[in-house]
Amino acid sequence: MQRKNTKWVMLGCLVVLGFVALPFLIEGYWVRVTTSILMYAIVTAALNIIAGFAGYAAFGNIVFFGIGAYTTAMLMLRVGFPWWGGVIVGGLLAAIYAILLGIPILRLRGHYFAIATLGINRATEQIALDWGSFTGGGKGITLPLPKMEIQQFYAMIYFIMFGLLLLTVLVNFMISRSRLGYALRAIRDNEDAAEASGIFPARCKITAWAISAFLTGLTGGVFAYWFSFIEPATVFDIMIAVKAFVMMMLGGAGTVLGPVLGAFLIELISETVWGKFLTLHMMILGVIMVAVVILIPKGMLDMFRRKFSLAGLWRNLKNQAV
Amino acid sequence: MAFIEGKTVSKAFGALRAVDQVDFHVESNEILGLIGPNGAGKTTLVNLITGVYPLTEGEITFKGERITGLRPARISHLGIARTFQIVKPFPGMTVRENVVIGALFGKNGAGRSTRVAFQEADRWIDYVHLHDHRYASVDQINISDRKRMDLAKALAMGPELLMLDEVMAGLNTKDIEEMMALVRRINEELKITLLVIEHVMKAVMSICHRVMVLHHGRKIADAPPGEIVKDDRVIEAYLGERYAKARRAS
Repeated sequence: MQRKNTKWVMLGCLVVLGFVALPFLIEGYWVRVTTSILMYAIVTAALNIIAGFAGYAAFGNIVFFGIGAYTTAMLMLRVGFPWWGGVIVGGLLAAIYAILLGIPILRLRGHYFAIATLGINRATEQIALDWGSFTGGGKGITLPLPKMEIQQFYAMIYFIMFGLLLLTVLVNFMISRSRLGYALRAIRDNEDAAEASGIFPARCKITAWAISAFLTGLTGGVFAYWFSFIEPATVFDIMIAVKAFVMMMLGGAGTVLGPVLGAFLIELISETVWGKFLTLHMMILGVIMVAVVILIPKGMLDMFRRKFSLAGLWRNLKNQAV
Repeated sequence: MAFIEGKTVSKAFGALRAVDQVDFHVESNEILGLIGPNGAGKTTLVNLITGVYPLTEGEITFKGERITGLRPARISHLGIARTFQIVKPFPGMTVRENVVIGALFGKNGAGRSTRVAFQEADRWIDYVHLHDHRYASVDQINISDRKRMDLAKALAMGPELLMLDEVMAGLNTKDIEEMMALVRRINEELKITLLVIEHVMKAVMSICHRVMVLHHGRKIADAPPGEIVKDDRVIEAYLGERYAKARRAS
């Protein structure tokens, strides 16, 4: 047991060192690609806290990304905040938004909650669109440009995203071991039994959603600073959340590293292959989603743990047919 | 003052009065049997005590304190735990993790670290003789073991009142004997007060100190087990009016 742990810790250190060295080894375009992969990994791992652990399908989770992005933009432009101040306030506002909305809508279960989050995302996007005098409306808004060499700037964003990813994975790890984590899993498996066991579901779910929102909000803020131009259609894009769901399911919902693994796999494929099939790639994404649900409903991490086998895949397929 | 007491407890689902004006009480360290034909309102009464449903009428006090209207989690923290007729396990977890939920979030769970909670869970897994399946996932164990797991989880919550909803249903003769011994031990060793819903009459007769009978939501009898089986109203409820008349005539 002890030796196995040491092995994993060393592997983890190697991976972290690899990521730290990466921007010095690759060129500008690939630094940006990797940054975008890191960003997806954070959004997915943050989604995992509410959708993976607690089993609440927050399809509209991307609303927090938008809030983080717009808060950062507005604070930098209208108040003169430094970028990092905007990012932190953005994360906090996203968390407050999650708490205020969570009190009414986390009483809903299953599909109703999923649909409610979609509605909230759409409504919030509409506010950003209609409040043109403040947010810039549908035309979007340009942020102050950084006062540094562009390559240096991209490298900095890369490291910020990587740091955020480490933070998000750490939060996932801590939740998985904590009282909150056990409560969330109990809620996911059977909310009535969880309540009979002394768990207050509403409190746990709201805490989980606020943490998820905070991390997603921070990411949105960094994204805004990185792209220095945001518009509602980009930062409230529901496709980001849909993709994050595919990534989470592929890697393994409710696991610590599964969502990150899934994000890397899908984004790498998307950047290298799908770029050449611009319209087809949505179809491929759909096929992957169906295949994951039927063949490996518990995700890749679970598949590796049980020693990958074709017989296992076949068994899952047969279970689905029944 | 009774340990737990209900006055004119009623629950209506639309026009149906599932529990109708029931007065009940359980004394400290007593085993009360709750029997009645299917649909008599037994499980509904447990659901009213644990706060799953709000009461239509009446009130329930636990150790002299009114618990009507409290959330189920709050009631469980006061020291009331239950098992489910149809076991509601957490399927994504192992047996040990299922039981630890009780240890983490039950009456004394608030200050416990997960490490201490797991020790506590192990203790109760041993107590119900489930140690061979500690690391099994829920879908790998049979119904008898699931009932024990549910019981271990309820015990891990540190209850003073434990309500067992048909823990013996679906068990074979040997398992029933073991479960009966276990229920007695829980009462005598742990000094836990029990309310036991049961259809297995052999178990009711031998472990309960007193039996309360519900029929169509109403209480029709409340007496020691030996008297209950001779009560005309109870025989009528279970075997029909004609049988009861014939029996009286003979």
